[in-house]
Amino acid sequence: MAQLVAGFGVPHTPIFPHFVKRDGPDCEIAKLFGAQKNDLAAVRPDIIVMFDTDHLNTFFLDNLPIFAIGVDGSFKAPNDEPRDVPSYVVRSVPDLASHIRSTAVEAGFDLAMVQQFSVDHSITVPLHFLTPDMHIPVIPIFISGHVPPLPSARRCYALGQAVARAIETWPGSQRVAIMGSGSFSLEVGGPRMAPGRTDGVPDPDWCARVIRLLEQQQIDTLMDEATPRQMFKAGNVGGELLNWIAMMGAIGNRKPNYVAPQMQNGHAYGVWRWS
Amino acid sequence: MSIFNVNYLCREILRDHAFRAAMKADPAKALAGKDLTDEERDAMVTGDVGKLFRMGANAFLMNYLARFEVCGLDMMKYNERMRAEKVDEQGRPAA
Repeated sequence: MAQLVAGFGVPHTPIFPHFVKRDGPDCEIAKLFGAQKNDLAAVRPDIIVMFDTDHLNTFFLDNLPIFAIGVDGSFKAPNDEPRDVPSYVVRSVPDLASHIRSTAVEAGFDLAMVQQFSVDHSITVPLHFLTPDMHIPVIPIFISGHVPPLPSARRCYALGQAVARAIETWPGSQRVAIMGSGSFSLEVGGPRMAPGRTDGVPDPDWCARVIRLLEQQQIDTLMDEATPRQMFKAGNVGGELLNWIAMMGAIGNRKPNYVAPQMQNGHAYGVWRWS
Repeated sequence: MSIFNVNYLCREILRDHAFRAAMKADPAKALAGKDLTDEERDAMVTGDVGKLFRMGANAFLMNYLARFEVCGLDMMKYNERMRAEKVDEQGRPAA
């Protein structure tokens, strides 16, 4: 049976590749992603399953699923021109993706199927730093985290559990790492931007609270507190926390090796390893 | 519900490089044939993103107007105009 080997929580700020190119390998961003890259290499994953919120690029307001999964042999990345990010073709695993979809639908999670697709910076930027040669295939699972109504935190956690059951019943010996992509408190392009910036962190206390609850394995408390109201209070992309919660559902409520905050961006870098 | 078209056209500035160039050159001309109300068209042409936000346009998508510097906007002007908007606890336009 395929095996879950680690969980990762990752940011995806689209300007970060440019900052690292400009500032070099000793800058904070390069070091934080570099540590995660080492952890990822150490668990030797054969496949990455990534929970992500598309920024109205793969989908749009004309057709916006709450949950969806990419089922194809590969996909193109990125489709939204983040600075200093090359064009990648990322391999995927359509037979496992199809199995995850079937298992999830049987469990009551109606995952829309996506084929012949591209993804935006929210998947590409973390892969750019963690698997720059794109040697590990990636299955993206999309959670609608920006446009109300948001799915509940508990439903996303349960989706993660269903995905884990699908992986653990897959007849293969692959090692699978789970990722959740996104911020805890962030406003992009909206009235709560900081002066002179394109974004802002409206609720730094919530960001700190999320990190503390993850560190203390207080996932039930986190899900109680992560209401749509609280997530939008934390910014117009605050619902990206749901990707981390789905990741936690998949790996189980484990203690992290670390959750390294980057408070000025309202996000963190998390690693959960057990094998 | 032509605010959908405002949102759609904001994303087209990212997607369609010919439309991006047309919007940079002459937004009134680029938007002339588009299915918008006069109020929406006028707000887009003048870069009145605060008004568009109150009309229901998506802030993340409007950010492309600033990123690609169309309709007289740049990052600073966009930032100032959006930050002047009053919002409720969840960041929606205040009633």
